[in-house]
Amino acid sequence: MKPVDLARKLRRDAAFEPAALDRGKAMLMAAIRQEVEPKRGPTIVPQIPYQDVSAALSFLERAFGFREIRTARLVSASGEIDHATLAFGGSLIGIGPEGHHGAISPRSGGIVSQYISVYVDDVDAHHQRAVAAGARIATGLSDYVWGDRPYEAHRTYEALDLEGHRWRFHQLLREVPRSERRGRPREN
Amino acid sequence: MHLANRTPGIGKRKTMSSPSDAEMIGRSLDEPEAFGLIYDRHAPTVLRFLGRRVGAEVAEGLVGELFRIAFERRKTFDASRAIALPWLYGIGSNLLLKHRRGEARRLRANARMAVAGEAADRRASAAALDARLLFPRVADAIEALPDGEREALLLVAWEDLSYQDVAEALALPIGTVRSRLNRARSHLRELLEPGGKRRVRSR
Repeated sequence: MKPVDLARKLRRDAAFEPAALDRGKAMLMAAIRQEVEPKRGPTIVPQIPYQDVSAALSFLERAFGFREIRTARLVSASGEIDHATLAFGGSLIGIGPEGHHGAISPRSGGIVSQYISVYVDDVDAHHQRAVAAGARIATGLSDYVWGDRPYEAHRTYEALDLEGHRWRFHQLLREVPRSERRGRPREN
Repeated sequence: MHLANRTPGIGKRKTMSSPSDAEMIGRSLDEPEAFGLIYDRHAPTVLRFLGRRVGAEVAEGLVGELFRIAFERRKTFDASRAIALPWLYGIGSNLLLKHRRGEARRLRANARMAVAGEAADRRASAAALDARLLFPRVADAIEALPDGEREALLLVAWEDLSYQDVAEALALPIGTVRSRLNRARSHLRELLEPGGKRRVRSR
């Protein structure tokens, strides 16, 4: 008998459970979902209106360290930025011309109706960079027993961007044990 | 009879046939979920292949791993190949290298089953006697082959792959596949034929 035919004689099929293929499919689909989901981005994306979008974009990059996702930029027929997406850490914000979706810049409206909290690794370095880029500091650097989150002690400052949107930058100092969480936090 | 002549035209037939593996893998670059269809198409074949080598239990664990690896490497799939199966065999062959011990165990068990099968055939009692001696030695001889030769041999002998398919699976030129198989054959002959290098085990 030829060697290959002899080898063929030792071939034997395994006996599988009827559901043998299901676990493998589940494993593959889990790997696929992992690849798909990051592309869907974060659950909440603040959209911020500006009079001058391109000035705002360059300021946010320079002063606050945002990074534009260039492939996501929308440009109008006249060459103006209709919408830009900026990343910071694992989060995204969108910026666009005021008037879209009924939102207006504080520079036009004269009021700030909300502020955005951003958690950074080194708030002192961040503060230095913002000041150097010409950000207006609304509240200087200070330590708080807690801030927006009741279980964390922060070092924080507040800055205004070119059009008066208010940004609050925090660095986590330590977690606050439950026993220390008494009464309302007092900020300076 | 008249109806039988009304076969669909080529264009029509094309829209009715399902997309090729290469098309599906290409589509999965933008729509990863499309890769699920590659599993549905080929996982049964791949699972049988793994089962023959390492048994049902290990094979069931490996098949998902194999397709996960294939999914992650899908950008490297050569789109000029319409069928993904040789590529999947290649990934499987690599995975099996980590299961050499289980494979050897199963091969010896297969040899015992083959002996029993021959012995059950009463009309071939002389052949059965030969088989009792022969099959365990075939198993040992296959085991003793270098990895590359054993893989090529088993893809041909057990999976009925063509030389071209083996070349695609193992990412080798077809000439190399041919020479590996020739070496595997002569190794087996040496180990099996009377007067060869065989060593009969004493019991």
